[in-house]
Amino acid sequence: MIIAERKPMQEILGMTAGMKKVLVLGCRGCVAVCSAGGDKEVSILSSALRLGRKMSGEKIEVLEETYVRQCDPEYLEPLRESGKDYDAVISMACGVGVNFIADCCRGVRVLPGVNTTFYGANLSSGEWKEMCAGCGSCVLHLTGGLCPVARCAKSLSNGPCGGSVGGKCEINPDVPCVWQGIYDKLTYLRQEQNLREITPIRDWRPAGHGGPRRRIREDLLS
Amino acid sequence: MVAEMSISDPKIIAFCCNYTASVDADALKAAGLVSENFELVRLPCTGRLEVVQILDALDNGAEAVFVTGCLVDECHNLTGSRRASKRVQYVKGILEELDIDPGRVEMFFAGRGETEPVVEAAREMKGRVTGMEPIHK
Ligand code: SF4
Ligand code: SF4
Repeated sequence: MIIAERKPMQEILGMTAGMKKVLVLGCRGCVAVCSAGGDKEVSILSSALRLGRKMSGEKIEVLEETYVRQCDPEYLEPLRESGKDYDAVISMACGVGVNFIADCCRGVRVLPGVNTTFYGANLSSGEWKEMCAGCGSCVLHLTGGLCPVARCAKSLSNGPCGGSVGGKCEINPDVPCVWQGIYDKLTYLRQEQNLREITPIRDWRPAGHGGPRRRIREDLLS
Repeated sequence: MVAEMSISDPKIIAFCCNYTASVDADALKAAGLVSENFELVRLPCTGRLEVVQILDALDNGAEAVFVTGCLVDECHNLTGSRRASKRVQYVKGILEELDIDPGRVEMFFAGRGETEPVVEAAREMKGRVTGMEPIHK
């Protein structure tokens, strides 16, 4: 899922300075699952915003709502008009939701309530870890299912750098070297031959370096 | 004038579980153990307490909020008071972000049926906020 976390309160107070009426808009998709922007986080941010404003002696009306998703046009339909009633809509969806509101809802001022950080897995309650970087050209069939793009600090394609020591990455002793993990996994799976193949220099265009990406499935187009 | 009143008798809201708050607030007030501005919210378990309830309490009139749950290793619901404690910590972080003294919220632990720790906590919180610039002016 997409992982995000609430922006610092001072940043949110700053971007809403002088505003009298805002809507905090959550999303029940990824950000709800990673406890960054679902119903609960909407109520927490709204309450914190009211409290922050109270301390500075300025009144603000903060309304709360949560949509099923903010990345599908049908869910944003009501916001096209209702969003104009607010000085701003603070979206707690990932950056996709914020962008999509900006694209779809003319005349609605949308602000990001969270920082969108990575695609990750939920390791345990309250802990998420990056697993994929959306590179557009997946190589997990060659690497035992472990991603060298997202999980190697240098996104190396052909084995570890010289900083891999004792299975740890040189950037931090708490960070496992994914290439050590790939080596161990491929050895265990008896697929060591994958390590002998030289992966050519990666074409980063599918990763977004060729401009904004788009996907079309003709059979679904109306 | 209003500000002075709120400093001298600040509203304190306590969230307590059934096991740590067997005496109700009215009885404590009648006995003169807590001030008239003390409010006690009873929960089945402090683990049920949500972050937003503490923030809302501060937003809706309280100058300080405290939570009293079971002693950590004696929680009736095993981990309820531990969870509550983490949520109190989380709220302290938000208050710091808002430049509000995090000492306005606190977690206390008390043995089952003990009233004294709740009364003590109410005194402690009153002492902390007396002298602070009130939230509700
Ligand atoms: S708007 Fe973002 S967070 Fe919400 S469902 Fe869509 S992708 Fe996930
Ligand atoms: S190789 Fe690319 S698509 Fe596959 S997991 Fe890594 S970043 Fe994601």
